[in-house]
Amino acid sequence: MTASQIYEVFLKADGKSEFRHVGALGAADNEMALLLARECYCRRAEGEQIWVVRRDDISSADSSETAPNRNKSHRHNDGKLVAEHRRQLREGS
Amino acid sequence: MRTWDDLDEFQAFLDDGGMVEADDDMPEEYRHEVFRFIEFHANSELMGGLTERDWIPHSPGLRLKQIFLAKTQDEIGHAHLLYMVAADMGVKTRDEMMNDLLAGETRFHNVFHYRAETWADQIAIAFLVDAAAFASQRAVFAKCTYGPYKRILRRIVGEEGFHMRHGEEMLLKMASGSQVQRDLFQAALERWWWPAVQLFGPDSPPDDPLLKWYIKSERNEVLRHAYVQKYVPLLQGYGFTVPDDGLRQDPDTGEWMMSEIDWAPLKATFSNAGPDSARRLANAVRNHAESAWFRESIGVSA
Repeated sequence: MTASQIYEVFLKADGKSEFRHVGALGAADNEMALLLARECYCRRAEGEQIWVVRRDDISSADSSETAPNRNKSHRHNDGKLVAEHRRQLREGS
Repeated sequence: MRTWDDLDEFQAFLDDGGMVEADDDMPEEYRHEVFRFIEFHANSELMGGLTERDWIPHSPGLRLKQIFLAKTQDEIGHAHLLYMVAADMGVKTRDEMMNDLLAGETRFHNVFHYRAETWADQIAIAFLVDAAAFASQRAVFAKCTYGPYKRILRRIVGEEGFHMRHGEEMLLKMASGSQVQRDLFQAALERWWWPAVQLFGPDSPPDDPLLKWYIKSERNEVLRHAYVQKYVPLLQGYGFTVPDDGLRQDPDTGEWMMSEIDWAPLKATFSNAGPDSARRLANAVRNHAESAWFRESIGVSA
């Protein structure tokens, strides 16, 4: 008996849409995972293509690693200063 | 993996719109309560799917047979995904959950403790019970803080929507059929109205942890009241009588007010002592034994 493993399931709807995470399932191997993904997540053709990935094979970073990048104002520009300058030019003040 | 120092910090995370994932170090209280809730939901989908299955051979006509096949497949698919999400919480394995259900040690929805006597009962179930389940699941989906459950609920709620529409279409055919058909549905309505209303459960306790943790987004009594407001006029519009002598409309607000609910039938289902509990469980035990060869062949379970 093979132990069941958790797979994360991604579906790509059609044409230009991206693969989206839709959920997970338990299966013994990749082939069974694809079969169950078709039966559990795609009964009404919600996806044109399916990816299944063993959760153990996913490397992840959480907010403790991504949070420092929330505070990098020099990587954004809201354009407010220039917009205000142009508005004043338009209004001739 | 995220951790929280104490329940207050965890609560602040949830209050702030945080979503818990399977590998987070969630508080044990949360893990156990959410697990119990999902296990109950999974059991209910499985028991519901088995009763749908029983009616496939009796469905009148090819299209209805196809619909009931699809519904059965949906319910069993929901159970499969929910058991996976529940097992992933590390409280019980899938086999332990299955054994507990079949031994009568865990619960499933009250509506699956009653017998569907005629085809009209199946329509009453599709129209009334599926709608009650839909309303209650949608309210869980709304704010659900457990990510794996919320993702599965998105699918479940979507598919229950199809079941409800099938249910109302079947009801429309009965209502516009012969007197015999209308009488058949009226009789079924009398069997299923109260179980459907009771599916929402008794009033939520004031300190319900499931509300505090945003597994439930709304109190039981609020969902039940909204359901009655919607289904009383719908049933009357189709020409049927809601089986409640005390039903009245508030002259000022126009709200429908029911008689006092007798909760004894609901409580009986909690201990698997409903009118059809024993037969349903025996049916599930038999099904589990008969399908063992399949689980073995795909190598997932004994």
